[in-house]
Amino acid sequence: MPTPPLPSARPTASGRQAPPGGLSRRTLLAGLGGVGAALALAGCSPSLGAGGAARSRVTEITFYQTKPEAVPYFAELVQRFNDSQSAVRVVHDSTSGIAAGFVRGNPPDVAAFTYNLEMARFMERGALSDLADLPEASRIRPEVQELVDQYATYPGRTSVLPYSITAASVIYDVDLFERVGVAVPETWTQLLAACDAFRAAGVDPIYSTFREPWTVSQGLFDYTTGGMLDVAAFFAEMSEQGTEVGRGSSVSFERDFAEPVDRMLQLAERSNANRASRGYGDGNLAMAQGQAAMLMQGPWALGEIAKTNPEARIGTFPLPVTEDPADRKVRVNLDLALWIPESSRKQEAAREFLRYLMQPEVQDAYNREFLAFGTTTTAPAVTDERIVGMQRYYDEARFYQGAGKAIPLTIPAENYVQGIVTGADPARTLRTMDADWRRLAFRA
Amino acid sequence: MSAAVGSRAATAATAATAATGPLGAPATPASAGSRPAGRRRGRRVDPVFYAFLLPTLVVFTLAITLPAAMGVFYSFTNSIGFGDFEMVGLTNYAALVTDPAILGSYGFTMGFALVTVLLVNALAFALALGLTSRIRAKTALRAVFVIPMVVSGIIIAYVFQFLFSNSLPALGTALGIPGLQGSLLADADTAWIGIVVVTAWQAIPSALLIYIAGLLSVPGEVYEASSLDGASGWAQLRSITLPLVAGYVVINTIIGFKNFLNSYDIIVGLTNGGPGTSTRSIAMTIFSGFTSGDYAYQMANATVFFVIAIAISLVQLRLTRGKAAL
Repeated sequence: MPTPPLPSARPTASGRQAPPGGLSRRTLLAGLGGVGAALALAGCSPSLGAGGAARSRVTEITFYQTKPEAVPYFAELVQRFNDSQSAVRVVHDSTSGIAAGFVRGNPPDVAAFTYNLEMARFMERGALSDLADLPEASRIRPEVQELVDQYATYPGRTSVLPYSITAASVIYDVDLFERVGVAVPETWTQLLAACDAFRAAGVDPIYSTFREPWTVSQGLFDYTTGGMLDVAAFFAEMSEQGTEVGRGSSVSFERDFAEPVDRMLQLAERSNANRASRGYGDGNLAMAQGQAAMLMQGPWALGEIAKTNPEARIGTFPLPVTEDPADRKVRVNLDLALWIPESSRKQEAAREFLRYLMQPEVQDAYNREFLAFGTTTTAPAVTDERIVGMQRYYDEARFYQGAGKAIPLTIPAENYVQGIVTGADPARTLRTMDADWRRLAFRA
Repeated sequence: MSAAVGSRAATAATAATAATGPLGAPATPASAGSRPAGRRRGRRVDPVFYAFLLPTLVVFTLAITLPAAMGVFYSFTNSIGFGDFEMVGLTNYAALVTDPAILGSYGFTMGFALVTVLLVNALAFALALGLTSRIRAKTALRAVFVIPMVVSGIIIAYVFQFLFSNSLPALGTALGIPGLQGSLLADADTAWIGIVVVTAWQAIPSALLIYIAGLLSVPGEVYEASSLDGASGWAQLRSITLPLVAGYVVINTIIGFKNFLNSYDIIVGLTNGGPGTSTRSIAMTIFSGFTSGDYAYQMANATVFFVIAIAISLVQLRLTRGKAAL
């Protein structure tokens, strides 16, 4: 998740649905003339008057993309595409609620959207069309395409094309590491020794921001579990076990997560003293000011750190959680993936725009701009020195999707994990998570 | 908001509006509402009055009743908000009553509402006494005390969140008060206190206004008479003021309790339900059904909550309406 999910933003995002509303009204007007005239169309009328006749042979499609920091970028891309040809006209929708579109039966024609468990629900029920026959589909790296399937699959379809992968690991202050004389740790023991060295030098080894549950979940929790377990296999087995999950089952949170969670707590202790009351923004500020050596955040934080201190020398390395350096992996997520809803009546046009987006020069430029990794076999390596440390792991497919993201939102896992790092009993909390899992399986 | 989403959101809001909607109206104090009912009873009502009712009735049916009924229907399904679903009977309800997360949210919300309603009423009543007595700058002070009411809850919450997380610990450290050096909100045992304080801060003005109105409605003669009889200020408060404004106390208590049961924005801004799940309110768990695809389950939760809200409304109607039935 690239931006801290401010709850306050949610109502606004789902409440403002001007673009699709305006669109459908416009279509209505074109078709039915007078009927639509009853609607007050202040905003739409000028564009209507200008292009009404000329546009009749143009197919208009809606492109859905809401990642806030990328909206201007895609707006420009859309403009460029519209100018380059005259058969398809793309309208950029950056504000609607995605679930709302599917519920109403008029989802966008094509989307570039974060792919996660929530989106997988739509895919699983066959709401997304098959893209397997597109030549672009065969250019995606298999291990990356595999990430999509970890959430859910629809038999016989390639419903989603990964577009942009963000990789997250430990963000560290290169200058502080050099000053204190600490090398990038490769094992758990080295990591603890590094923390001790920073402590001795009067620097907080890790900056934690436990006030915001998502930062605990995506950071320490995902890194420790991902560094010790095969997350995808664990959750596949958990789904298999369903209502049986618990003491006697082959996998359970209580047993399999006990050790990673214990290590998470050890690292939590090595964080700033006021960690429980600090939020996401505080962490970025602290890193920018050199107050702490390490921060467990994703690449979205890098831009924020640079805003405060453009000079900060920042690097990244995967968190070592075991004694075997080969276990080190980076956490990835499908920051943007492309899909076309089954119910779109403009499949041809939607595919044309999707293929435009998938052109190497377009896709690679985007990933370079947003510190993300490419998804195709031909994608160039990243060059930004802040994330270049993760390229090797990405190339070798030593990555995982966070455990926190694999737990259905209906189980308040982020809150549970926050509870653990702020003093709740870990074993008991993990048992609660098992019980919640069983309960959910019972209902599903 | 467009139709389908709107209806879904409205369904969630049902629990919320069920409390405020129908209850807002009968909130008129019993004393004020005791107009002669007999006069109307005998007469035929002019049909034009029904015409006046129609728009509201249509809107209310479309925006509240219908979505609410749909929500109740979905609570017996396994719908995730769209697409196919199956009827699952009472499965959701069965899961609900054994779900510690749900039960925890009910426990927290009830306790929080109870504490807050007591605090709000005690403080609002005391303030109203002060603001109706002969003090200087009475009008200006009243205006000042009403300000919290007009500020959006989420803004208040974020401001207080900053105060609790930064200012208060700084103050506590400077003064060497051990209990205040950490953030109140970062401790699962004390986070609720912060929520109570902020909610009360926002809720006091409306209770205050009702109490001021109530206190002003007590005729001055009774005080005059009692002081001639030698009653002290305390005796006057206990034997005259309190009994005469008892109706207002009931109104404030019940309206307040209902509002606090619906708490959402302030909690989201302050703790987001944390630390852990220690401050998750019922409304927050219900809303989570929209983002987590647990739509039908949380509809069942909303239905249960709706029934509770109705029960409270009935109690309120009984207590406030008295004999002045419609």
